[in-house]
Amino acid sequence: MTYMSFIKGELLTLLRRKQDTVNALVFFLMVVTLFPLGVSPSPDFLSVAAGGIIWCAASLAILMSVESMFKEDFNDGCLEQWLVSGLSLPLLILLKTFIHWLVVIAPLLVMAPLLSEMLFLPSETFSVLLITLILGTPALFLIGTIGAALTVSLRHGAVLMLLIIIPFYLPVIIFSTGAIRAAQNSMMYDGQIAILAAISLVFLVVSPVMSAISIKASIN
Amino acid sequence: MHSSVSLKVSNLWVERSERYLCKDMSFFLSSGDIAKINGENGAGKSSLLKILVGILRPLEGNIHYNNEDVSVYRDLLQKDLLYIGHDSGVKSVFTVAENLRWYFPDANDDEISLALDAVSLSGYEETPSNQLSAGQKRRISLARLWLTEKPLWVLDEPFTALDIKGVASLEKHMKEHVEKNGMIILTTHQDIDPSLNLKEINLSL
Repeated sequence: MTYMSFIKGELLTLLRRKQDTVNALVFFLMVVTLFPLGVSPSPDFLSVAAGGIIWCAASLAILMSVESMFKEDFNDGCLEQWLVSGLSLPLLILLKTFIHWLVVIAPLLVMAPLLSEMLFLPSETFSVLLITLILGTPALFLIGTIGAALTVSLRHGAVLMLLIIIPFYLPVIIFSTGAIRAAQNSMMYDGQIAILAAISLVFLVVSPVMSAISIKASIN
Repeated sequence: MHSSVSLKVSNLWVERSERYLCKDMSFFLSSGDIAKINGENGAGKSSLLKILVGILRPLEGNIHYNNEDVSVYRDLLQKDLLYIGHDSGVKSVFTVAENLRWYFPDANDDEISLALDAVSLSGYEETPSNQLSAGQKRRISLARLWLTEKPLWVLDEPFTALDIKGVASLEKHMKEHVEKNGMIILTTHQDIDPSLNLKEINLSL
């Protein structure tokens, strides 16, 4: 096994199992569409809530897609093969997370203009929404990876994993919606953006190593 | 021909779920050896293999590979290692050939069909693995033995999914491997061809 064949394998797996990714994206779309129907379709309300709605839906969709990230590899014995391959386990995990991020986030960004139009998000804040999505979602994925690695050997680990990682999701959601709200009120939002980037960078360093340790501890 | 390899395990203590699997175990293997780990069901043969390849950690003990200490980091050993565990390591979403390419990206079509031929899976190259039986999946992972250049093979129950012809062919391939200076560590419940010259390692307290 080489890093290249690993990347190819991951892409091929995602391609063959595209329904999982599609599920998460449809879920995202549904939440965003149902919100105005359920609460209030008035532009006054929606233009204020748009950032929050999109971010909450995106976090839940990401949760869905990272939850079973290592499950199949664990069940079919491929995780063991990663461990004995002589390749660096944190790097393999980072590659896998990056590929998953790319595959989920790209269509999400493509849908974003349509959805923000639908939710009456002011067009000058749309760019802020994009920036927060690009800078904030890596953190969500990297945190989710730790949770998925910790619960990989549990049969019903989904709830436990949610309990473990949701607290870490909160700051990301708070600062991204904070940045969008600040932009709507014509205030400075650089601070929130910088914090988002910082959170993502911290987890970029911490998550692969912690996930590798958790996976090693889970396999036995 | 492989360059010669050696594996020295000294004073190995293994504990699993608060039960000792082996106490103060030592053995030495070198190029040309086939070692069979003996033990009853649940005695911890698979665990011992996993410890040797670095998936699990022993309680205590030292492992030297080619006279280098690999007790903590198995990198040097893993560089030379082909491990087939209890789980096949076969991805059900891949076809048979894609599974082998995942392990051996440089292998060409001829080599892959040759390897599949050896485990009587020829013609299945483009079949999705999830359409195969458990035994056939097992044989996909065994096909790796015909593609690899690694000198150290660690095999957990390699004979289980094979028919008589398959067993004979695998035994022959193992013989060729150790004649080329390779080393094999395996567990099995089946009787093996005595001409293979097994070294037995007993797992008992």
